[in-house]
Amino acid sequence: MNVHDLKSARPQPLPPKPRNPMPVWVAATLAMLWLIVWDLEISFETLAYGVADMAEYFSRYGQPDFTDLSRYLSLMGVTLATALWGTVFALLVAFFLAPLAARNFAPNAVTYRIAREILNFMRAMPDLLLALIFVAALGLGPLPGALALGVHTAGFLGKFFAESLERVDKGVCEGVASTGANFPQMVMYAGWPSIMREALGYVLYILDRNVRMASVLGLVGAGGIGLALHDTLRLFDYGQSAALILVILATILMIDYASAWLRGRLG
Amino acid sequence: MTTALIWRWPTPNGLPPLPLVGGVLALLAGLWLTAPIVEVDFVRLIGSLGRMVTFAGQMFVTPDWEYVPQLLAKMLETIEMTVLGTAVAIVVSLPLGILAAGNATPHPVVYRVTRDLLSLMRALPELVWALVFVSAVGLGPLPGVMALAFVTVGFMGKFFAESIEVVDHKAVEGVRAHGAGWLQVRLFAMLPQALPDFVGTVMYILDHNLRAAAILGLVGAGGIGYDLVMSMRLFQYDRLLLIALSIYLVVTVLDRASDRLRSRIIHGRRT
Repeated sequence: MNVHDLKSARPQPLPPKPRNPMPVWVAATLAMLWLIVWDLEISFETLAYGVADMAEYFSRYGQPDFTDLSRYLSLMGVTLATALWGTVFALLVAFFLAPLAARNFAPNAVTYRIAREILNFMRAMPDLLLALIFVAALGLGPLPGALALGVHTAGFLGKFFAESLERVDKGVCEGVASTGANFPQMVMYAGWPSIMREALGYVLYILDRNVRMASVLGLVGAGGIGLALHDTLRLFDYGQSAALILVILATILMIDYASAWLRGRLG
Repeated sequence: MTTALIWRWPTPNGLPPLPLVGGVLALLAGLWLTAPIVEVDFVRLIGSLGRMVTFAGQMFVTPDWEYVPQLLAKMLETIEMTVLGTAVAIVVSLPLGILAAGNATPHPVVYRVTRDLLSLMRALPELVWALVFVSAVGLGPLPGVMALAFVTVGFMGKFFAESIEVVDHKAVEGVRAHGAGWLQVRLFAMLPQALPDFVGTVMYILDHNLRAAAILGLVGAGGIGYDLVMSMRLFQYDRLLLIALSIYLVVTVLDRASDRLRSRIIHGRRT
């Protein structure tokens, strides 16, 4: 190939320069956010004053008042127990519903759809709304709280389990199916043993979440430490509020570390 | 498998594995011990079934159509709070996520401090922060947005950090070999690789925040929650039905949309 050849070669038209849509997206997002701020009537003036006041406001929480500590701890105990019962309830429901909601285990398409819809419905109902309903039906106390947590998180747990079950190796399913296993046997020997580790991880996550939620369920009369916090905040009793927040914080951090440790051992 | 615990059921010796049996026994003991605290009473539970059915029956009344415009306005407010809180959280948690990722952090001490800060932020639920912020800046959507953003930064920063930690090191080395600076390596090698994960995280958080925003009104922090509690307390079942239905509808739509988007991102969409 000499210089002459190169010169005679027709220059290829360049491919069109890719258009970068990024600025448009950013501008649209900012415009939408500005609209929202305007519609919610959030004034930055208030916020600025609020921030200035907030330092002073938070300093009021400076002296936690631990005189009632034993009562707080027992309330926290109730909260933890509520979370535990809620999680176990969710686990039971999810244990039976998840195989039905997994495409590869469900006996037929109709049960699959129904199970999915039940799980969706349970997930869509906020747990505080459920707690309100159960409190109306069962009366005050931790039991309606545990039920509400259970129903709501059964939806989550069932969905997580079903998704894990759908990822079970096809070979494992075929192997068990070839022995003539029926639906419960398939689930018990091909399904759960394969996803045991993941499933435990999910249960720990849900337990973690339920402890957080249980500590606010008291707001609607479902027992636990939330009601005490609500009352002290309403009475502007900052010392006791600070103590309550610290108790909740310490418990949640402890559970957080414990579940991280357990998950590390499982993984 | 010698060091790891044996979890699978059909074990070589045919007996259930010891950790599983131990775990179940411990769980049962825990349940039995805590039953009196939670006041689990199956007689009461069954006895209340009747009231539950009555209650459910009361829900089925003619909806209060007059209320629909207000409901839509409140629902819009809830969605706006969700979007705004999430947007603020994204902006704050991106830098925090970089600081809290083991491979992107400038210094191990910064890493530890940021991690602990994030876990403190996500420790308390939104409602507690909403209570505190309502006391600080007054009623309205502002404390709700603040509470949502505050807690979500804790979650999102952690998730962002985790997805930055698993990026492929080869791209990082390649960019660094071109003489890219500290920030350039993070911007052009790490973030683009973590972007699909980020989108999934944001969808998950959006979903979570919508559920949370729907109940924040309970403490006066804006959104549909206030109407929800009020209609409950005043036994306005004709409104309650509409509110519950609208929450269900919005949450389900977002749930489906985020599911679809996430699976499209995870399974790739090469055209």
